[in-house]
Amino acid sequence: MKIKTLFILLILAVSSITVVVVLFLLSEHEVHRNNAFVRRYPHHPITKKYDLPIKYNSYYVSGFDNDILYLGNNTAPLHLLEVNLKTKDTNHIQIRMKSKDLTFQSLKVKMQPPYFFIMDGSVPCIFRGKIGDWNAHLWMKDKAYFNKAMPVDSNKIYINTISSKTQMTTLGLIERQENENINIVLNTDILEKQIDGVFDVDGIMTISPNTGTLGYVYFYRNQFMVMDSNLKLIERQHTIDTVQRVQIKVANLNDNQISKMKAPPMIVNKMAFMYNDLLLINSDRLGKYEDEDMLKEASIIDVYNWQKESYEFSFYFYHIGKESVKEFAVFNDYLIGLIDDKLSVYEIGKKQFNQVSIKQKTIRL
Amino acid sequence: MKATRLIYQYIPNICIVLYIILFVYAATSKFLDFYDFKVQLGQSPVLTAYADWVSWGIPLLELAIAGLFLFSKYVLLAFYASYSLMIMFTTYIIVILNFSDFIPCSCGGVLEKLSWTDHIIFNVIFIAIAVVGVKFSENQLNSKFGNL
Repeated sequence: MKIKTLFILLILAVSSITVVVVLFLLSEHEVHRNNAFVRRYPHHPITKKYDLPIKYNSYYVSGFDNDILYLGNNTAPLHLLEVNLKTKDTNHIQIRMKSKDLTFQSLKVKMQPPYFFIMDGSVPCIFRGKIGDWNAHLWMKDKAYFNKAMPVDSNKIYINTISSKTQMTTLGLIERQENENINIVLNTDILEKQIDGVFDVDGIMTISPNTGTLGYVYFYRNQFMVMDSNLKLIERQHTIDTVQRVQIKVANLNDNQISKMKAPPMIVNKMAFMYNDLLLINSDRLGKYEDEDMLKEASIIDVYNWQKESYEFSFYFYHIGKESVKEFAVFNDYLIGLIDDKLSVYEIGKKQFNQVSIKQKTIRL
Repeated sequence: MKATRLIYQYIPNICIVLYIILFVYAATSKFLDFYDFKVQLGQSPVLTAYADWVSWGIPLLELAIAGLFLFSKYVLLAFYASYSLMIMFTTYIIVILNFSDFIPCSCGGVLEKLSWTDHIIFNVIFIAIAVVGVKFSENQLNSKFGNL
């Protein structure tokens, strides 16, 4: 073979390799930073362990304590199902509380080890008790109404309520001091009004189980916020979706006394769960190059790293039969989901999910 | 002596036929399953941003090269092109295997069933075939033997 030919072959090889490598680097950049709304599905970020029948579809996730998952029940509010995720053992728990003359409307039980909280924002009241003892005692009453609440630590509750000042939905904290005084903190700057300040800012509250970081993900736009445990805004970030403006129609009835949605809204984010630096968001919105039929088989969950301000990857949470996951949570090595009357349990891939940087966080904050 | 000469004459043709089969097959299976192919490319970490035109470009390029092989004038060029393309494919595989957690395959047809190592071996063999092809068709062009 001639030297010239060899030279040509060498040049071709080098330039071919360069082209692909450059494309790779450019593409990586696009996907990570430019909101191209293209999802990436790595192989096996989660591994199915088992489906556990839990008899009723009225369970919701109450919380975790080590390998124990607690499920609350909407139809039997003081009943809890305890599931040991390792051994699959289940145990029924009945919470005892003295609730003289209180009519509950939307009672929810949430865990914050070593305590559990029983909360009803329409009364309003909050009870607290020790996990294992299951006797609940009154912790707060009549201080603040709220739509939704989640305990941050043993003396602090993260709430979503209507501010009496602005008449708009606001995030807040209910704190109980050592002298049992209740302190209400509202931060009206976090939720940003686009239409009416009530419907348009509606979203999902979430708390990282290990770090106590608070999260809020809008239903109707591609944005989420991360706050520290004192409700100070740390980050305001976008998801890979492209919908920045809320697309809902609100009608005012009875001289502005009651507002209702006129048309079915476009939901950008359906469910969310914060896990350390990661924020997992379920969305039915399809990106480029995604098959519509996939939504008949699975729910799409996008994983963001809010510390790194990046979209990491997506994975499918598969339906059972035709039923899709209606709530999911991550704890320790598990990803769990409630699907109809079953509990789906997955093991999470350490490589993909353990991007924890608690040390980094303390430095940055 | 005659036998070896005969083999020598046939080697470039064998290389040509192998490449035509490979490219026509790969391109056809991509077009037949075009939607899937595009989705796979879109999910590929290397080409996500360019999936739209790459998804058309690659199979068209494969067919074009296969076409070039049919004209003796362009056989050398076709071998160079195939050689470059195969090196690109191989680089692509190595890049996503090593530098990315996301490993989709979009080769089309049976080729999709190959494991990644097999894929690399397969590609290397074809790169070698292209090199052999270049060498022989060059000789043939020089001695005006090109007669496909």
